[in-house]
Amino acid sequence: MMTSDKIIRVSIWVYLAIFFAYLLGPLLIMSLTAFNSPGFPRATPWECLTFDWFSALFQDERILNGIKNSVLVGIGTIILSVSMGLAGALMLTQIWPKLRATYYTIIIAPILIPGVVIGISTLVFWDRVNRMLGLGADSFLSNGLFLTIIGQSTFIASYCMLVLVARLQRYDMTLTEAALDLGATHAQAFRKVLFPFMMPAIASASVLAFLASFENYNTTTFTFGEYPTLTIELAQKVRYGITPAISALAFMIVILTVFAALFNEANIKRKEMVAEARKDATVGELAGKIEVPGILSRNTPAMLLILLLVVTVSVIGSSFVYSPNQCIADVHEQKRIETELRIQQLRDQRAKDAAEKAAKEGAAPVQKQTAPKAGNNSGFGGVFAPSTLDNSDN
Amino acid sequence: MPGFLKEYYKRNGTMMGSVMLGLVLFWTVGLIILPQLSMLDFSFRPNLPPPEIGGPKDIYTLENYKYLIFGPEGGGQDYNAVDLAVFYRTLVAAIFVTLFNLLLCYPIAYYLGQNKGNHIRIFALMLIIPYWINEILRAFALRIIFGETGVLNTLLVGTGIFDTPFDFIRNDIALYAGLGYAYILLMIFPIYNVIESLDHNQIEAARDLGAPWWRIHWRVVIPYAKPGISSGCTMVFMLSAGALAAPQILGGPSSLWFTQLIYQQFNDNSDWPQGAAYAIVLLVTCILLVLAVMRLFKVNMGDIGK
Repeated sequence: MMTSDKIIRVSIWVYLAIFFAYLLGPLLIMSLTAFNSPGFPRATPWECLTFDWFSALFQDERILNGIKNSVLVGIGTIILSVSMGLAGALMLTQIWPKLRATYYTIIIAPILIPGVVIGISTLVFWDRVNRMLGLGADSFLSNGLFLTIIGQSTFIASYCMLVLVARLQRYDMTLTEAALDLGATHAQAFRKVLFPFMMPAIASASVLAFLASFENYNTTTFTFGEYPTLTIELAQKVRYGITPAISALAFMIVILTVFAALFNEANIKRKEMVAEARKDATVGELAGKIEVPGILSRNTPAMLLILLLVVTVSVIGSSFVYSPNQCIADVHEQKRIETELRIQQLRDQRAKDAAEKAAKEGAAPVQKQTAPKAGNNSGFGGVFAPSTLDNSDN
Repeated sequence: MPGFLKEYYKRNGTMMGSVMLGLVLFWTVGLIILPQLSMLDFSFRPNLPPPEIGGPKDIYTLENYKYLIFGPEGGGQDYNAVDLAVFYRTLVAAIFVTLFNLLLCYPIAYYLGQNKGNHIRIFALMLIIPYWINEILRAFALRIIFGETGVLNTLLVGTGIFDTPFDFIRNDIALYAGLGYAYILLMIFPIYNVIESLDHNQIEAARDLGAPWWRIHWRVVIPYAKPGISSGCTMVFMLSAGALAAPQILGGPSSLWFTQLIYQQFNDNSDWPQGAAYAIVLLVTCILLVLAVMRLFKVNMGDIGK
């Protein structure tokens, strides 16, 4: 019994290891390629440590422009989709019960509709509206920014709605009623009572909306017009020739993500520790100031965060001093020597073959049918059968 | 003003009520319903240059749908074999990607859902981090690995398993790995959410009654997790059938995904109605497939997105 338990436990860990290797391995290897010097992103063979791909990235006009457009689209999408999501969530609590299921299906559907379809329908519909209003091709309605924000908000609002509904379910509607009874206007009741309650959910919906907008490709690829976002630029680059500069960008996004995640974890951990300290505190301590443990003590995520920060800063610092030129030159030299060696070998081989051939033709011309004939094809390792060669000779 | 509207305005105030109603109507009608109807309408029209739109030639026609099935008129073929094959392959591959993801993710979701502790939080973090990174970059990462001189080939040739580099991209292995990779999180989270709420005592009880582990899963955990499983499967299936970035980056030169055909109609051929028709076919087929499977397993639409 004990052994079978052990087997199960070991197999669980092996499975977890394989799973996370599949999940994180590609990102790790991609990050490595950002520091390797060959012009094609590869982790093997390792040639030279270099930071040049980062400077290449920062000099790329199209990438920088893409980031700018992505931020613009992201802000627009946050505003539009969070407000639509909030309105949609509030409406869900009020709508006529018979209509509720239909309404819910309609506002949840955009999550399931393929992004390509949303992009196309947005493009086709607003093109038609544009024509019906008699506006030209350069009007506001056919502007790439407008179309992208509209297209993305169609489904991102559904994500926001789901996040907001979860919080709204815990809201006590009588609070709003109390505010109204006390003479607040509807707008005031919303701003002073409901909105502060919804704030955490609105914040996480905004983050979600921005991330979804930032990484969207399928919808944006039909609507971007004159405003290619970062994702669009990346896709163009990846499709028509890839360079380690893209790995450099990916590496920075990975690092930023890890930072954000660790920061979030450290914050949660700290809050937990404060709550724990409060629980044990006496009344007197609560009235005065509570002894809160320092930021770093027993807070693993915070410690990791500081460690990562130190490593990052020192790597960036050393990147200004470090120059891979010597190493690149060495590798270059070595490659040159290798190539020369190979040429020399080929040359020797050819000379040897020629000598053999001459010897054979001189000594035993009768054996022509059976002996492998080494002509000027010897460099190809005798891929041609001797008989073929004979035929071509004749 | 009808009674229910009057009551609605009384409850929300004129200003707030109007803003709310306006936003909801803009979203549901202006962004969801009308564009889809407009696309449907568009798919039944011939491809005309802008001045002729609305003119006498602008009539309803089934031409665009006929094209998908029978190919160009006078093309000498009975059926549009190329496009139909791409369509069929897309659907079958999407189903396989979904099943692969389900098999891969169910144990993880079960493990995360039924265990507590610090390491679970770290695992959850490690799950989420790849999903904050761009879809394009994830595909790019896989391309580095599966490329002809990529890590995997170097490893396989270096250890002597293969003599020559294996072309993963031409054989579509890279594509399937990429699609599976792209939507892991969407499969894990719905299942995890459901399994987390399963009382561990139920599993203990089943074990005490002598059920082997596979029967515990078959009779207790899986029936309980059915809404999560169907939700995850639906999302992964729809997203991988509608994926565009992964096939463009990881697909071989000769193999197309159906969305790439739509993309070509729009961007290379400038034939919008044809593209719209293909999009409609994809959308309707996917929805019908999902509904059929949900009917088969007796799951409700309302469970999706929970």
